[in-house]
Formats: sequence, C-alpha cells, structure tokens
Amino acid sequence: MSEDRKQSDPIMQWVTFCLGDEKYGINVMQVQEVLRITEIAPVPGAPSYVLGIINLRGNVVTVIDTRNRFGLPSKETDDASRVVIIETDRHIIGILVDSVAEVVEMRASEIETAPNVGNEESSKYIQGVTSRDNQLLILVDLNKFLSDDEKSELDMF
Amino acid sequence: MNQAKPPSIVHQQLALDVYLQTLLDEVPEAEDDAVAETVEAARLVAREALSTAPESVPVVVSSPDVAVKTLVRTRQAKLVEPENPVKLQALSVMPDWAQYEFQALFFKVDQLILATPLIELSRTIKIDRKPSKIPGQPSWFMGLLDEHDDRIGVLDTCQLIFGKNRSQQRNQEDYPFKRILITQDKKWGLACDEILSIGKVKPDGVRWRTARQKKPWLIGTIIDELTAIIDVKQLVPHRKNS
Repeated sequence: MSEDRKQSDPIMQWVTFCLGDEKYGINVMQVQEVLRITEIAPVPGAPSYVLGIINLRGNVVTVIDTRNRFGLPSKETDDASRVVIIETDRHIIGILVDSVAEVVEMRASEIETAPNVGNEESSKYIQGVTSRDNQLLILVDLNKFLSDDEKSELDMF
Repeated sequence: MNQAKPPSIVHQQLALDVYLQTLLDEVPEAEDDAVAETVEAARLVAREALSTAPESVPVVVSSPDVAVKTLVRTRQAKLVEPENPVKLQALSVMPDWAQYEFQALFFKVDQLILATPLIELSRTIKIDRKPSKIPGQPSWFMGLLDEHDDRIGVLDTCQLIFGKNRSQQRNQEDYPFKRILITQDKKWGLACDEILSIGKVKPDGVRWRTARQKKPWLIGTIIDELTAIIDVKQLVPHRKNS
C-alpha cells in the first residue's frame, strides 16, 4: 500500500454495538473500556437521557441511556447489556448499549454520509453509514453525541 | 443613377442592422422553435428589404425603418406570444410529463388508491426486511435500505400524505408496508401497501391543481376514477448533505 493512500484514505477502527435491530460504530480511540452492567444510581432531577451514575474505581461516571438518546423504546438490561466508557472532549461518560459486538476496520472512503432529512439537531451526531456483512453500520460521532451544555451539566452530577 | 445609390445603401444597412439585432436579441431558451422562426423571419425581411430596394428608386429612410421593424415585431409577437397566456402560465408550473398522455402506476396506501407517473420511478421492490433506522430523523423517515448498489431512504408515504395522526393509528408491526416505489434517482423509496396496475392517463382527463402552495405533491385528480396523482419529486425531501 502506498504512503499516499495511507494518508488520503486512512484505516479507522470502530467498536460496534447493538441497539434493537441496528448496529452502530464508535471510534475505538475514544473507547476506554467496556463494562458489564453494574448498579447505576439514579440522579434526582437529571435529564431523561441520563440513567444515573456509577462508581468506576473511585470516579463518578454518568451513564447515558443511549436508547433514549436515539429515540428508541426502552428495554430491560440483560446479560448482554454493556456500559461503554468513552472519552469525549475530556469528559468521561458511560453509554448503555444492548450488546457490544466487535472491533471492525474500515477505510474512510467506505463511509458514506447519512441523509439528514429533518431539521432535528440530534441527527448531527450521525457521522455516516457503511455496509458491513449485509447490514448497515451507523457510525456515531461521539464528540457531537452531547452538546457542550449537556456535557457541562453532566459534570455536575 | 448616382443619386439613387446612397438611399439604397442606407436601406441595405438598415435591413442588415435589423437582421443582426434580431440575432443578438435575448430570447428564452424554451422558445427555441419560436427563436428559429423569428430569426428566419428577420432573415426573410432583410433579404426582402435588400431585394426590393431597386437602385433606381429613391427610398425614404424613415419609412422602411418603421416598416421593417414593425414587420419584425409583428412576426415576433405572432410567434413568441402564446395564444392563451393564462393557460400557458398555469401549465408552465406543471412537470413535463403532465403536458402529454402519460403512463401512471396505481398503488394503494392505507386504503387509498393513488397514481404517480411511471417516468418518475425506477422500479418497485418487495419489502423483505426492515429499513435501518437512523437516529434523530423525522418519524416519516423509515430508514435506509441497501438494495443492490443503491442506498435507499425509505419514506412513510402514509404519514407524508395523511399526516402524523393517521399514521400513528396504523400499527406498523401488524400491518407493515409491503412494497416500495423507488424514485428515478434511486435515492428514495415510497413505502406502500399494494401495487395495483399501470394505466395511461390523458391530461384532459385530469383536474390539475395549478395552485399548489399547500400539498405541492398533490398535482391533480384523475376525473373518471377520482384518483389523486402524486408528484413524487415534490413528495420526497431534499437531502441536505448528499
């Protein structure tokens, strides 16, 4: 492979997870660890997309209800449920997902822009889509997953 | 003989000026035929003017100026101006396919039969799997479906046409859409319940909606069947980033 291609069309690694019937991908560089479901303490007065907080080796980490954030119906957690600890703009947060699948590699050129047909701000965090094993993989831009105000609010918990 | 020549040269120059001016005049592209005829008319006028200016006959400059220009204007007006401007203006907001007899696909959405011109579609497919939902999109956007080499944005036609309330009454789990009409550009799919038939529709058999500020996708109604004709291009959204 030529150096030019490495630079112009870099290979990226994505951690994939499932929510309902859909598969999503997040940049592996932003994933710190993946935890089995643990006790999540609710926070009074928190926004609906905040499930609560967990104690991660002495640090308080806010856990986001990803289903709520993506407009999906809620679901009871089970053995496959995982909390993915991610870093976004120096904020450490956890996102609850139905299951974590694998780490996949893909070139930047394989990612297509997702259609943005509405005016909803929430769609900004969809970085793109790509096909993987005959299934659509929706790539999430974690830096846009929460707004700056929301990130600041999470630090208060 | 020498006395008659100068007016003749003026006359020829005038005719050429008119001819060249007509060629340079801006005329809308849509009126190509009219332009061709107008230019041809100017050419004839110029030729006529040149040939009918005998060297021996003195010509008054002002008179042919008016005559030639008037003749060109009359000819232009006759060729370019529509006979019924009001009717043409109404038709001008119609898509091309609405001007002539067209083939329409009849399909059913939530008990309602609709028609759309075949020319706006590329194909239809059966829905054999759920489209992938994209978070943060409007509820009428059912998701993306990979079909061969195309990635199709599937739209809830019921919601787009009837609105959110009626769409919410429909239980998508129990009564899912069965077919998708794929648009000509293969970017969008309109989910529907059933594809019925293909038929020819004559423009004079349609009550066209010439004012479509509201529901621009509803372009008319086939009078005999009382079937709404949908302009697919107006129904599908415009992708912001593709």
